[in-house]
Amino acid sequence: MLQVRAITKTFYPGTPNEVQALRNVDLTLEDGGFVIVLGTNGSGKTTLLNAVAGTFFVDHGNISLDGKNITRWPEHRRAKLIGRVFQNPFSGTAPNMSIAENLALAAGRGRSRGLGWALNANLRKEMRDRIRSLNMGLEDRLDNAIGTLSGGQRQALTLLMASWLKPSLLLLDEHTAALDPKSADQVIRLSQQIISRQKQTTLMVTHSMQQAVNLGDRIIMMHRGQILHDLQGAERGRIRVEDLLARFDDIRRREQLDPSVAEMLRRNYV
Amino acid sequence: MTLLIGAMTIGLILSLLALGVYLSFRIFNFPDITAEGSITLGAALSAILLVKHVNPVLATAAGFVAGALAGSLTGVLHTKFKIHGLLSGILVMTALYSVNLHVMGKSNVPLLSETTLLTYVEKMTVKIFGGAARFSAFGWEINRQDATVLVAALFGISVIGFVLYLFFRTNLGTSMRATGDNPSMIRALGVSVDAMIILGLALSNGLIALSGALLAQYQGFADVQMGIGMVVWGLASVIIGEALVGVSSLGLLIVGAVMGSILFRLLVAIALRWGLNPNDLKLITAFFVFSALVLPGFLKKFKLRTG
Repeated sequence: MLQVRAITKTFYPGTPNEVQALRNVDLTLEDGGFVIVLGTNGSGKTTLLNAVAGTFFVDHGNISLDGKNITRWPEHRRAKLIGRVFQNPFSGTAPNMSIAENLALAAGRGRSRGLGWALNANLRKEMRDRIRSLNMGLEDRLDNAIGTLSGGQRQALTLLMASWLKPSLLLLDEHTAALDPKSADQVIRLSQQIISRQKQTTLMVTHSMQQAVNLGDRIIMMHRGQILHDLQGAERGRIRVEDLLARFDDIRRREQLDPSVAEMLRRNYV
Repeated sequence: MTLLIGAMTIGLILSLLALGVYLSFRIFNFPDITAEGSITLGAALSAILLVKHVNPVLATAAGFVAGALAGSLTGVLHTKFKIHGLLSGILVMTALYSVNLHVMGKSNVPLLSETTLLTYVEKMTVKIFGGAARFSAFGWEINRQDATVLVAALFGISVIGFVLYLFFRTNLGTSMRATGDNPSMIRALGVSVDAMIILGLALSNGLIALSGALLAQYQGFADVQMGIGMVVWGLASVIIGEALVGVSSLGLLIVGAVMGSILFRLLVAIALRWGLNPNDLKLITAFFVFSALVLPGFLKKFKLRTG
């Protein structure tokens, strides 16, 4: 179970570029839950994911996972509990190393790296079996460098790597945004398979309303570093793409209103 | 022939330098200048220990350990104190110059009358070949002593190269390679990138210092100036090696670095024999590395423009 308590993050504090990326965010994610995070650009959804992953430390608040307080854990220590897929398909794999070596690194996620062989016959066999389920014909190319594969293939492998040892939490950061529609579709289907088979607790950021409606059992909408809507249960069941768009329109209209109202108030009362 | 054998032996000894440079520059993508100080450190420490009649194997190993410490210091400066990689290396290299002078107590320590690894090889030569000081092979008169040293160096370097190759296939070794290849990926898989960089630089500089310790024993002295220009020489060897084997599998690249170092030394020996002014050696090497770095990109541009 993931518990995020009142976390705050300000980038470049005290400078003209100051950004309050997260403002007092609370979020509880039950085991096996699949939450989609939606939001406009700069709403703080990726920042929320990075705060949980440990890319930076939050200014205030607490993050706990599996009952452990991980607020001050460095990123590589949190990796024992967290699997991650990045937006950039090139971020999740080491291009000059073979498919097998990349998977072997993932098979040791969170464990201390000793002088045992990275690869052995058993592990190779398991790799072939799991890669075959991707239906990409990669099972016979275990010794090819990952850099020779397409973005979609690399992202599928990253997904396989992130979930190789079932993590307590899987973080997907717009992981199909940089792919062509066909590969994106393939990676989404694979994500669904893995999440439902492993009953995988998942936090997924996306721009796509369609993905938000089709996937997951809960939708969170973020704006300006805060959670504005948290749709779950029956309310989540009824939601359609049009409803989500309407809510975003709402946000936008309020956005446009705010400065003009403030200006009017200033003129009348100051 | 003596000249060629000598050049090949130095090439083999300096191939440890090439492997160290390959590790930091190519695998970690870390421009580590510490090498110029750590190769001297390895030579200085092992030389002074030999003068004090310490067992040559121990003295050589001490050189390796000292270099590894120097390398890890550079790693700590870079990762824990967030100093730019190049500057971390320069700081440690500069500090090592004084350290080396202190270790040796003077700027040059001769080893001609000491028991060194070379003495062991000499004893072995007598045991195997008996009396004759020269033998002829392929129509050349060959100094028996030189030949055995060459064979011993080849054997030693092969063992070290093979162990290194095996190491890079362990969990720790693959994690190190991945750290250089894609740090954000390996961090997400639970490996401390800082620890890998510190460990990798320790290994790299340990190899380089070992190279220095062996070089001091082979040439019969350690000198505080001997490290100057070594990084560029190491890089030249790595570049030649890559040209020889192509950028392909790990094992071939290790073999390539060794072959590159030998070939580089042979080229230098031949150039000097043809009357190249030794003072110009570093200038020419720097120019060679410059063209090796720039030429491929330039040729590509040229091809695009014409074709």
